Amino acid sequence: MPFPPSIARALASLYLSDDELDRLSDLHYQDAGHGYDPFGLHPDFVGLGHLIAGPLYDKWFRVISRGHASIPEVGPAVLAANHSGSIPIDGAMIWMDVQRHTHPPRVARAIADHFVPSLPWVGTLFARSGMIGGSRGNTRVLLENGELLLIFPEGTPGIIKPWKERYQLRKFRVGHAELAIRHSAPIIPVGVIGAEEQLPLIHASKRLGKPFGVPEVPIPAVPFPLPVRYRIFYGDPIPVHEQYSPDDADDPEVVRKVAAQVQAAVDVLLKQGLKERKGVFA
Amino acid sequence: MRKKSGLTGRRNVLITGADTPIGERLARTLLADSRVDRILVICGGDPSLHPLADNDRVVTMQVDLVRARRVRELLFGPARDHQIHVVVHLAMHRSPKARGSRAHAFNVEALRGIMELAERHPTIERLVLRSDAAVYRSRRDLPVLIGEEHPLNIGVDVPQWVRDRVEADVTACARMGLGRLQVMVLRMAEVLAPGTGSQVFDWLESPFCFRPAGFDPMINLLSLDDATSVLHKAIFSDRQGVFNVPGADTLPLSACIRAWGRIGIPVAEAAMGPLYRIRSKVSGKQFRYGINRGRFHFSGVLDGARAREVLRYVPAHPIDWPVG
Repeated sequence: MPFPPSIARALASLYLSDDELDRLSDLHYQDAGHGYDPFGLHPDFVGLGHLIAGPLYDKWFRVISRGHASIPEVGPAVLAANHSGSIPIDGAMIWMDVQRHTHPPRVARAIADHFVPSLPWVGTLFARSGMIGGSRGNTRVLLENGELLLIFPEGTPGIIKPWKERYQLRKFRVGHAELAIRHSAPIIPVGVIGAEEQLPLIHASKRLGKPFGVPEVPIPAVPFPLPVRYRIFYGDPIPVHEQYSPDDADDPEVVRKVAAQVQAAVDVLLKQGLKERKGVFA
Repeated sequence: MRKKSGLTGRRNVLITGADTPIGERLARTLLADSRVDRILVICGGDPSLHPLADNDRVVTMQVDLVRARRVRELLFGPARDHQIHVVVHLAMHRSPKARGSRAHAFNVEALRGIMELAERHPTIERLVLRSDAAVYRSRRDLPVLIGEEHPLNIGVDVPQWVRDRVEADVTACARMGLGRLQVMVLRMAEVLAPGTGSQVFDWLESPFCFRPAGFDPMINLLSLDDATSVLHKAIFSDRQGVFNVPGADTLPLSACIRAWGRIGIPVAEAAMGPLYRIRSKVSGKQFRYGINRGRFHFSGVLDGARAREVLRYVPAHPIDWPVG
């Protein structure tokens, strides 16, 4: 970033109270020597992330969430969520929500597609807040360090869905299941309701994305996200670490089965959430 | 007859590139170790000017490693006479300006020749190669934490400075476990010190450091003390293999600029190459953007798990940053 952590902290203090800043200083992360972890996360920039995402979380999307008890206080775990909304605001809201409801706060390390780290400024800001590029090596190290991963098993096809297909999950990829089994980490299904309606999609352009190395660029019907109400529901942990040994991660059948199990659990959370809500903005 | 030194026994050591800061410091460290009797120090320049030239336990020599016959005469002459057990190969062109077949002969063929001769040498049992983190490829889809299996930076568009380092590294790896010579390759993080061939050090020499706008990758840097420490451990180890050697300092490029007391200026990617070409032409500096393009965009930090487990190496000496 073009400015040091001290400035990030000063900026964050414009929005966060001293208590919240102190709470953030208790973040669980591996300091590699200069206050940063090897992937670039810095607690003061996480605070800066609150300055940006906090007002959206509190005021714009008015996030309601439940089931936080499913998130382990320590140790490796994988949050597997549905992905939607044309731009990854759902990831930012889960990131905020997890920090607000874990003690000491945990950073959900969101796994992004390969093109994200190559986006100028965005890639750096995301890295400072805990996001990492989705390579096998990165995820392995984080789980070995007992971190909490946030994975969207639908991938980019999930976030760019036509309006008529909202809340219809794309087939889950299996990487999250393989990781969880190999590293004996529970999978916590996460259902996000609301994001599907924030930026109704008109078209997704592959041509526009090509110069930036982005698979598709969404062209939404509105210029900015609508103030929909976000609901984030955490399901019961799927204890793959109790059901399978790490070696089972090499078995394609087992991995597919677990991925399908996770998809079914997320689907249940979505259906519950949709049934409960009284309106998109309510 | 090959004389066995034993794994914990005494070692006589030959150091190529001994007039570099790492070589000189290693020689001093070995002198302080009572298990080392004799150190054969090979310099590129005048051996009488080496700071340890007057020491009784040090033999200084100038040898042109590009010439195979001189290398043979060294190994089967003084090295045999002094019963050298371990060769530490540090000789490598530090300047990217060194190009062409002679530079390649020095960077790669010299090592190939030393290894071939060492296989049938009566006393040499072990070769330690100082390799470089520059051998690893840096790309957006590759892990930030670099293990020893990370893809190497091979390709036709790769500068010779990097290509030679990769070839030397692979040459050493190719001999591992096949003959009687024990081979250890240490892929060191960049040593931030003058005279070590550090591109980052040269980059930080200017009061203004340009970097690609919008990118601030994590880098890992090694101190001279840690570099010396791991070479010392490697000399007395009985293990073979490739080991990453990270340093104690992992930080973003922008923090590195600040800690060195410089001013960072983000500029458009397209301007980086021309700017540093002009700088190089005007001031004769060694930094080449083409060599560093990948790591100036994408984070790359060496994973030292294997070195920690096998060599008991943990970086313990952070760099002495001028500004906090």
